Amino acid sequence: MRGVVAFFRELDATVDAVETLKKRPLGDFTVYTATPRHEIEHAADRGPSAVRRFTLVGGLLGVTFGYWIAIWISDYWPLVVGGKAIATWVPYTVFGFEVMVLIGALSTVAGLFANARIPRITTTVGYDARFSHGDYGIWIEPAPDKMQEAEQVLRDAGAVEVRVER
Amino acid sequence: MASAARPVDVELLRRPNLPSADVRLPAVKDYEQVDDEIVATLGPQPGWFIALGIAILFLLIGASAWAYQIYTGLGVAGYNPPIMWGVYIVTFVFWVGIGHAGTLISAILYLFRAGFRTTIYRCAEAMTVFAVMTAGLFPILHLGRPWKFFWLIPYPNWRLIWPQMKSPLVWDVFAILTYLTVSTTFLYIGLIPDFAVLRDREKNPIRRQLFAQLSLGWRNSDREWRHFTRAYLFLAALSTPLVLSVHSVVSFDFAMSDVPGWHTTVFPPYFVAGAIYSGIGMVFTIIIPLRKWFNLKHYVTINDLDAAAKLALFTSLVVGVSYACEWFVAWYSGSPAEKQFFANRIWGQWWWASAVLYTCNMVLPLSLFSQWCRRNTTWLWILSIFINIGMWFERFVIVEPSLSHEFEPWQWATYVPTWVDYAILLGSFGWFSMWFLLFIKQMPVMALAEIKEIVQPRLKKPHEHGIDITGHHLPYDHDTPGEFE
Repeated sequence: MRGVVAFFRELDATVDAVETLKKRPLGDFTVYTATPRHEIEHAADRGPSAVRRFTLVGGLLGVTFGYWIAIWISDYWPLVVGGKAIATWVPYTVFGFEVMVLIGALSTVAGLFANARIPRITTTVGYDARFSHGDYGIWIEPAPDKMQEAEQVLRDAGAVEVRVER
Repeated sequence: MASAARPVDVELLRRPNLPSADVRLPAVKDYEQVDDEIVATLGPQPGWFIALGIAILFLLIGASAWAYQIYTGLGVAGYNPPIMWGVYIVTFVFWVGIGHAGTLISAILYLFRAGFRTTIYRCAEAMTVFAVMTAGLFPILHLGRPWKFFWLIPYPNWRLIWPQMKSPLVWDVFAILTYLTVSTTFLYIGLIPDFAVLRDREKNPIRRQLFAQLSLGWRNSDREWRHFTRAYLFLAALSTPLVLSVHSVVSFDFAMSDVPGWHTTVFPPYFVAGAIYSGIGMVFTIIIPLRKWFNLKHYVTINDLDAAAKLALFTSLVVGVSYACEWFVAWYSGSPAEKQFFANRIWGQWWWASAVLYTCNMVLPLSLFSQWCRRNTTWLWILSIFINIGMWFERFVIVEPSLSHEFEPWQWATYVPTWVDYAILLGSFGWFSMWFLLFIKQMPVMALAEIKEIVQPRLKKPHEHGIDITGHHLPYDHDTPGEFE
């Protein structure tokens, strides 16, 4: 994998570069920022996150399992009290709710991991420790014949350092 | 740690701190300052070792008392039939309540976009996890055979019997375990970007490798942030009803029985408000010394404490109204047992405990109507101690007077905790403090990534129309006065 990494000191310079790369596609790019910024998210325009689907499915599975386990246990090991139902949904809503939250939360984390592609065990080309400290960065993977053009676009936007990495 | 803290700009610190809706941390200039100052708190301090030593000593006292109780039997605790719920259950409810403020601050206030949460939520979240860990020990301590605690968990077993799913005690197991799991997950997910900062700054290869593992290879990419912010939002949304449900379920332990003083529908909201109130009290107890010792007064500003104090005042009023409801219902119910019980609670056998409770939870917090009190950190800290004491006594007054004064006069009894009860209570504070002290020296006490969100980013040029790229008006309008003290 060969690409160009650019370092920016300012947020608006980074946003300018991202907008330019959206207008003039030179290859896949990744933006690095020490904190989530709406300006970058809007400029990159990646679409909605799929994490919400994991949350929904996990929550539905959880609530189903919560009710089911309580009802199944009551039927399997019935504690008979005169005039009382063996299994009843009102108290079992506690289980339905708690397990919904539990599985929904764990599914959300699974969704985060799957979509953000973490845990990541290999060192990644293009990342620099400065990106967690205060600088912004853009990593772009252009075709070999567009490498110089990519460098120029990033410099024009205000990058303080641009270098080719492989 | 990788790099020394940037020297604090003394002139800037001496100037009045004037946070406003637009500029919340005027003494924090850039992202680098956030990293430098907060990561510097991880360095060793002699006071920290002393505090940790004291915490471990308390823990050992509690552990020794428990070992003695296991060896001798539950009789060494102050149980006196029919009073078979004592200090352990009181302290269990107390610690679960403490655990509430963390998720309230990190989740509910996040959804409400309450700005003052940003700098205090990490401490509050850690407090939640350690408080629930502490609470979880007490039902086990309360058992005659603590090694059989797992019988409450539904699992296929050789006896082919299962828990009674209509019992509030089984609901409690589900509620507490879910709360502990979700709170821990929430804390860890928020820490991932901060672990990446520590990884990138660390020079020691072993610690660097450890932080690399904990950060899961986080790179601060836009893809990661996009999914992270969504996941965080959904975790907050799931945690919000959980905060309300957990203490409601704990209150069912009492309200589902027909014991005088317990069988009341006001218990769930009453317990939740009390839990939030006690949790905010513990946040003050922790954060006020912490901001001083770590020199982070320009992060946790007086305005933040003022806002949290208003929340404490509000919840104390809710708790006060709940007490009034209890008195009213006891009178209005026409039930002699209920009336007798309340008379005994307030004017009889337990007057002293009720007096402590009402003074700490209803009278002293009224001082927070005064802005001077809300912005005086010394008073806030002293008040927080009273809140902690008052909320422990609230649970004591709920548990003991009811069991000591049920329907049959021949059953009436009294309850006096023994040294074993007190030692284990002390040990619980040691256990909690030990974990918290270890936490604050291994992980950032404030969320680096979230604080950076409220710091003015570096810009090439101001935005047109006098509004910069973050939506801030230029020049900044300092409309909320405040000070560092």
